[in-house]
Amino acid sequence: MSTPTTPRSKTAATPTTPAARLASSSVIQSSPHYTTTRRHSLYGVEDRVIIDPGSRVWKVGFSGEGRPRDLFYPTGRSPNGGSLWSLKRASDPMVRVEEDKLLEVRLQKALRSVFHESLLTDPKARKVILVEHPLLPIYIKDTIARILFENQVPSVSFASSHLLSLFAVGRITGLVIDCGHLESVALPIFAARPLYPQLRTTPMAGARLTSHLRALLLKFATYLPPPTSLSSAANIPAANRATRVPQEVLTDAVVEEIKTRCCFVGNALDVSNADFRDVDIMPLGDQSSDIEAPQSDSLQSESGQESTTSSQRAAESEFSEASGPGVLPPVRHEPGETYLQALASMYTRHSTATDLHMRVTPPTSQQTGTGLGTLIIPGWIRERAAEVLFEGGDVDESSVAEVILDSLLRIPVDLRKTMASSILVIGGTAMLPGFILRLQAELIRALASLQDSRHSTRPDKPLPPVYDRYAALRPLIPYFAILNNPSPPPPATARANANAGKAPALSPAMMAWVGGSLAGALKTGGVEIAREKWDEAELQQRQNDDGDEDSMDLDEIVPKPKNILPDWTRSPLTNGAPPARQPVAPPSVSIPPTPRVEA
Amino acid sequence: MIPSVLYHCPCLSTSPVPPPPHLPSSSYCFHPLYTLFFCEECDAIRCNRCVSVEVSTYYCPNCLFEVPSASVRAEKNRCARNCFMCPICRNTLTVVASDPPDADAGRLSVPVSTVGEPPFYLYCNHCRWDSAEVGITFEKPTGLAAQLQKHEDSAPDSLEFDRLKEHFEPFIRSSLAASSAHPASTVHPSSAAHSHHLYSSSITAAASAALARDIPGVSKYTPLSRSTSGRGGRDRSVNKDEMPEYRSRMDITTASTIGTGGGEADVEFMKHIETINEVASLEQRWGSSWVTSLQTRDLKPLRIPLHSKRSKRCPVCTHILIKPEQKAQSVRYKIKLVAANYLPAITVALPHMYPTTETVKRALAKSSAAANDRLNAALHPGETYAFHLALTNPLYDPIQVRLATPRVHATNTSTANQEKSRRPPFGVSLPTSPFTVAAFAEAWEYDEDEDMYWTDEEDLGGGGGGGAKSVRDRDARTKSRTKAVGVLEKRANTTIVGGEIIIGKEARGRLMFIMLVQYTYRSDDPVPSESNEGEGNEVKGNTGKGPETKTFEFYTVVDLGEIEG
Repeated sequence: MSTPTTPRSKTAATPTTPAARLASSSVIQSSPHYTTTRRHSLYGVEDRVIIDPGSRVWKVGFSGEGRPRDLFYPTGRSPNGGSLWSLKRASDPMVRVEEDKLLEVRLQKALRSVFHESLLTDPKARKVILVEHPLLPIYIKDTIARILFENQVPSVSFASSHLLSLFAVGRITGLVIDCGHLESVALPIFAARPLYPQLRTTPMAGARLTSHLRALLLKFATYLPPPTSLSSAANIPAANRATRVPQEVLTDAVVEEIKTRCCFVGNALDVSNADFRDVDIMPLGDQSSDIEAPQSDSLQSESGQESTTSSQRAAESEFSEASGPGVLPPVRHEPGETYLQALASMYTRHSTATDLHMRVTPPTSQQTGTGLGTLIIPGWIRERAAEVLFEGGDVDESSVAEVILDSLLRIPVDLRKTMASSILVIGGTAMLPGFILRLQAELIRALASLQDSRHSTRPDKPLPPVYDRYAALRPLIPYFAILNNPSPPPPATARANANAGKAPALSPAMMAWVGGSLAGALKTGGVEIAREKWDEAELQQRQNDDGDEDSMDLDEIVPKPKNILPDWTRSPLTNGAPPARQPVAPPSVSIPPTPRVEA
Repeated sequence: MIPSVLYHCPCLSTSPVPPPPHLPSSSYCFHPLYTLFFCEECDAIRCNRCVSVEVSTYYCPNCLFEVPSASVRAEKNRCARNCFMCPICRNTLTVVASDPPDADAGRLSVPVSTVGEPPFYLYCNHCRWDSAEVGITFEKPTGLAAQLQKHEDSAPDSLEFDRLKEHFEPFIRSSLAASSAHPASTVHPSSAAHSHHLYSSSITAAASAALARDIPGVSKYTPLSRSTSGRGGRDRSVNKDEMPEYRSRMDITTASTIGTGGGEADVEFMKHIETINEVASLEQRWGSSWVTSLQTRDLKPLRIPLHSKRSKRCPVCTHILIKPEQKAQSVRYKIKLVAANYLPAITVALPHMYPTTETVKRALAKSSAAANDRLNAALHPGETYAFHLALTNPLYDPIQVRLATPRVHATNTSTANQEKSRRPPFGVSLPTSPFTVAAFAEAWEYDEDEDMYWTDEEDLGGGGGGGAKSVRDRDARTKSRTKAVGVLEKRANTTIVGGEIIIGKEARGRLMFIMLVQYTYRSDDPVPSESNEGEGNEVKGNTGKGPETKTFEFYTVVDLGEIEG
């Protein structure tokens, strides 16, 4: 067996080397003829394999195609498996070794299934473009690369997902925000060059939405256990059976299904401050400060809705009143109890979405009845669960809109207008209906809110200068435009008009993959690492390791990340930002805290 | 939870000793026997993780058509004939002809026929979905995929994709020229690796060429934009990156007016849905890269993905371990070296969970309610349980088996300590002496010779001591169950041995322990010298009975289930 580990066998296993040369030479020759002959790649191996590995969903396919061949959950058939990696990494070295081992096995399984099940292609034949999230930890990248090269892939290119998404909408400049599962990351890109130091991130993303949704469902949804017998179903009214939602009912799969099939993002909540004070949530101030809405004459407009909502509530009271403890439970006392309660009453007033009944498997402990139980999902949960993404938390958990603004603040002044008018929203969480519309509204509101609250809070006193975070961005308001906004607001400027909603109608979750496919078809892409180079580095490392054989046990177990992988965190940063941390340590997921420099 | 025995494949760990079974990653080291292979050359167990895989045939799982590998990619890994899946329930769709009189009302029993009225459509026998709902009908009942092909070719995503490619192509070409002319990039023109790198990231190279002229925000623009505020800056902000504006074939605003893409129309729809089934699930709509409707009723039929038959090779010696017959219809194998033919199959049972044959006979007359209760009996801490291991010999020669439970190896003290604190405290006792498992024979040999086998092995295993003696008297078997460690029963090529487990007072979690199985068999090949270099888990046993016996050892993990507090 010609293993790729020794230098001798490397030269022996040549079939890939000429292929690589061929491909690179064909780039030079790329003629206009190329576009007309799409057929040539049917038998050939020029088309690359594009892998967009998310922590939850992987998208794989061939370059030159408009859509991926397959999407799958890398952790198993159902979404139950959770995510492949998380934002945390164990600090205990032994636990970490264990985690890494688990990750490697799972990645290996997933990557193999990419070639053998999804694409039905030989890994030896095709180059791979890996759609790389800018904050993907280097150890994961390293593991993926190692597994790919172990499977004899000729070369692996790493391309930034944000940049590729811009390609997919026909641009090379813009501010891309990726709302994925683990985090939302805003990254400005100018002339195909990602401005990594201006990258901003927040954990307000799919995972947070899921946990928030679960909390809301546990507290405010109603569960009807299956009737104990078929005859009793007719006799006992549903209201008498209603109970709290048992924890076991809300499996990951159920919550995920509710999230993807029932949830959407409603319009911005026009709640006056007085409204808020009624429900007395100020002690939990952190969140509330961000919900503060502009003082507006919204009450009148809401009164129109009031009638519909009240009738709605009358309809649902059948359950809520009867199930007393189910809906207004004084039982459990969690820290956020009153806060959640306040939110609930507020949202219920401002939501017109219908309640949904969903069939769920009853928990095993209560499997006395016949058939499935019913979960009643209040309409306001469907509409308002995603509020958590736009509210934000503490300093490290800014809202999705704030993350864009923070990034904009760090962009050089002369680029701000360009970036503000070409915002691109990608990622699976952005697939929620109404998400992009809401994001646009939130951007404007975050900029406008401060002035209003200044007048409203204390009219009698002269105000001390308030910390105005986004004052510098306020003149940009008319320029804000989201490229893939499906229903853009009437544009204020020609620039916004030219951009807003002008992106091709690709789905946000798929843009990075499509961009990768495009890059592959154009024979470009990120930094490419050939297998030969990898093997060389591997060999070199092994020799180094042989030198200090008696080093710690850990060194043997933990494969050190190789320096040949492209990694922007290692490159020196521009002026004003602190130097990157020592190259050996894997980059932490969060960006190192940098002093906020007002431009 | 049924107690199980999983076999260890040493491919993941560097040492032949398996990792402690409680670590989550260890589950990938242990496999059920039927998934394992056995390499005769290396004399080692191979699992699906370590083998190298090659595809031998592609075929459609529905029509069993063998697809030539050249057209697999062209046909998008999917059946290009008549096979479609229901978008709702993933059942196979059938082609049906429409009723002559009224096509849209009262399709109760649709006659399935190959010849019928011209508008054919696809129909799901399970959920009654039909393709006429989404406006897909066919003129003739064959070659449906080809008829659909024109829809696919004119799909908005592929058209848009081509347009994007056209948009970028001149830019890439010009930037390539620019970057090759750029002096910085031609420093090492001879270095192949360098130039390779350069071409592959030509967009970045192009960008760097542009950046060399005007670096944004650093030198040139900053003073300008400060001096001219507002109006003047707008014009310059229009096009800074030398990229012509891209005009979409269909932009998202246009698309969203027809109810896709998460716009206002979608929000309105979501607001007013009555049942969850109106909205398609994520898996049903995630395959499209173009914005799609959220609604279930807009889903299109799916072509059935192809499957592949794969042959697998040993990663060390590259010998084929399993190779299916080429034909898609065939379910036989040309080569099949599965571990089940080499290693004794071990099953574990907890007798207290199952009624013994005697109690069943007794209970049969009454009711099975009592037996059902016992079936769910769980393990409780502080108790002692007997368990039965049944070993079945697949070889044509009798084997001598020795079982052992290795202690946690203190190679790394910190792991051992940690492990000890985490694993539930329990003690396992297994028969320590070797015992025989009779040879596998064809079924017809069994019925009369059983007694003969019986006594034969009695003598062979006689050295086994107390455990074997307890078997001698068949009636004594039931009585001696209380001290159940030892050989309990021998029947044909199966031997059942009893073990005992004492669960500690504060034990919680899964009750799993590692068991080393060593077995000695008569070897056919007289030169066992080469086989030792494969893996470390093969031990020569040619001390006692001459050169023709061989010993193979492997690790298993016995999982007895959850301890309930």
